[in-house]
Amino acid sequence: MKRAIALLALMATTAATAACSGSGGGAAPGAAGDDQVVLRWSTWGTADDIKLYDGFTRDFEKRHPNIKLKLESVSDYADYHPKLFTQLTSKTAPDVFFVGDDNIGKFVSSGVLTPLEGLLAGPDSKSRPEDFFEGIYGGAKKDGRIYGVPNDTNPEVLWFDKKALKEAGIGENPADLYAAGQWTMDKYLDMNARLKAAGKAGSIFWNWYGSTYSVINGFGGKVWDGGRFVATTDANARKALQTLAKGYLDKTFLSADVLPESNSASTRFLKHDAGFYAGGRWVIDSLRKGGELDDYDIVPFPSPDGKPMPGAVAASYMAINKDAKNAKAAFTFLTEFVSKEGQLLRLKGGGAVPSIKGAEQVVLDGYPQHAQTFLDVRDTGFANYPDEVAVPGLTAAINDELLKVWTGKVPFDRGMTELQKTVDGMTG
Amino acid sequence: MAAIAKAPARPARAGRGVRTRDGWWAGLFLAPQVAFLLVFLVVPLGYAVYLSLVQWDGFGPKTFVGLGNFTAQLTDADFLRAVWNTAKLALITVPVGLVLAVLIAAGLAGIKGSGFYRVLYFMPVVTSSVAVALIWQVILADDDNGVLNSTLRRLGLDGPDWLGDPGWVIVAIAIVTIWSSLGLNVVIFLAGLQTIPPQIVEAARIDGASSARIFRSITLPMLSPTIFFSTVVAVISSFQAFDQIYVLVNPAHNEGARTIVYQVYKLGFKDFQFGMSSAAALILLVLTLLVTLVQFAAQKRFVHYDS
Repeated sequence: MKRAIALLALMATTAATAACSGSGGGAAPGAAGDDQVVLRWSTWGTADDIKLYDGFTRDFEKRHPNIKLKLESVSDYADYHPKLFTQLTSKTAPDVFFVGDDNIGKFVSSGVLTPLEGLLAGPDSKSRPEDFFEGIYGGAKKDGRIYGVPNDTNPEVLWFDKKALKEAGIGENPADLYAAGQWTMDKYLDMNARLKAAGKAGSIFWNWYGSTYSVINGFGGKVWDGGRFVATTDANARKALQTLAKGYLDKTFLSADVLPESNSASTRFLKHDAGFYAGGRWVIDSLRKGGELDDYDIVPFPSPDGKPMPGAVAASYMAINKDAKNAKAAFTFLTEFVSKEGQLLRLKGGGAVPSIKGAEQVVLDGYPQHAQTFLDVRDTGFANYPDEVAVPGLTAAINDELLKVWTGKVPFDRGMTELQKTVDGMTG
Repeated sequence: MAAIAKAPARPARAGRGVRTRDGWWAGLFLAPQVAFLLVFLVVPLGYAVYLSLVQWDGFGPKTFVGLGNFTAQLTDADFLRAVWNTAKLALITVPVGLVLAVLIAAGLAGIKGSGFYRVLYFMPVVTSSVAVALIWQVILADDDNGVLNSTLRRLGLDGPDWLGDPGWVIVAIAIVTIWSSLGLNVVIFLAGLQTIPPQIVEAARIDGASSARIFRSITLPMLSPTIFFSTVVAVISSFQAFDQIYVLVNPAHNEGARTIVYQVYKLGFKDFQFGMSSAAALILLVLTLLVTLVQFAAQKRFVHYDS
């Protein structure tokens, strides 16, 4: 009898506990409750960046009342991929997630992403494979299969300050020179020298492949060739790196990475202390906060002969977890997120450039004057080299080695030897 | 005779029974802790040893490489730099932190209303390490907002770029570490001071000993077990320093701030080299054990357990 009462009590407790957990209203991640699917997705970004997704989320959930989006964000890009990696290995990763262009190769080769080419070409797709520019698939495409869709892009261009150029006695407009086919590396370096002579910095670069490899391209050099890193041995590439190293040391160029926060790259550019600032469409946000918008415009990186050449395009990819609990809902979200309508909704007012064809009007909103340059660079540009992004940590290691040279901690020749050694060591 | 022989056997059997029952109870109470240790310490440690012998990127197959990961790490310039940075941090924080804590504790022990100061000194210990790091970022910044350098500039001095200069960053980290751990050491030393019998101090005073002499000849020797304990703990925590440094600086951009634990984190979660990462973690474990063993060997000469 006592045993029976105890059993009943246990059953009652269990039922009560279950009822309590049910009354919390929160279905387990990814589980369906009342036919509603909770779709987990993740990205990186500050609180302000994350707010940009609110409009899309509201719109999406209104159109798909059976799908509830749950965003799990990480504020710092550097911390995002380690967390995602840990989640993937422990099978707790979100259904859909962003992957940076420096990590996509690793995730593709690890087989943790759902191949998307069939889904993208299928009847439920709002974003077909051919809607995206080939060059920006980068490491997300392997052996004809698509593992990630570029959610948006940021083509690297040179913002120039008309006022600073004028103060340095430079009458020519870089955008006009580009239009006339005269925007050469020689011309650009000459402008930098004149800016320096006028007491200003020539150019400010962030220490990343977008800037460094664009300058190498501008010298006609090669970074990767036949699966081998040749930037330290290719004559033109080495000359480009040497020019950069010399420029950093004599302050013709400034590395944004090491500028103090109170006198950051944006501040220097807004104060007309520099002629050029290499960046993407995100620079608009800084200029809007404190600059005279009309003082600034954009031009692609110069080429050896003035003819247009491919520029670097920063990209990130949206991918679906191979173990996604709600694969169908995950694809619905992904395809709408990267679709023309989705990008138009997300990218209004600045930040990034659409990765999909047909959403160009979001960029051509009147600012900057040569905003079409963003689209030209995107359409012909390249994401980081697949050989490089396939090796986790390689891009960061290259940047680390180069920063030592830029800051003068290591002499140029030794820096190149160490850079090659690092790359060889990591690529095997 | 037989009855006499049986008589002592009864308590012996009863004793065994008690011991057996006690043993069962002890086992029962210890079981959760043993299970916890097995699941969260022994098994992961065993797995780390296994991983240190293979090449593995976290997803694909594992390739046995023997001691290759250890030799690679022990000859890797980045890892050796991390070991040196960690050693520098310990060499600054342990002596400076402990000397300060002993002096403050000795000072507090003799004043009225020391509770207020104890709370004051202990506050950083209960503050989140991330919050501490963020506050010190503002204090140590080398720009117009940097409290320390702005103050130094007003005094006509030019402070270093504490968080940006690889040569100074360990000093900056040491300052923050000492500040945030000082309170705990002060409380430990205050507890240690309370174990010193006041009559010994009183007797020394009657004999005419000065305060400095009392401190040197009575307080310090009698506090030596506490100092030894705090030294061991401080060295181990310096070797394991990570979270505060990660937020305070950005070790990715400043090689002077890369400690062994950062290297373990980077190799594993940024470079996806789990074999290398595990090897680095085990080297850290061995280093910690060695230093602790040396400390235990040295304590025989410096630590006085008799009153």
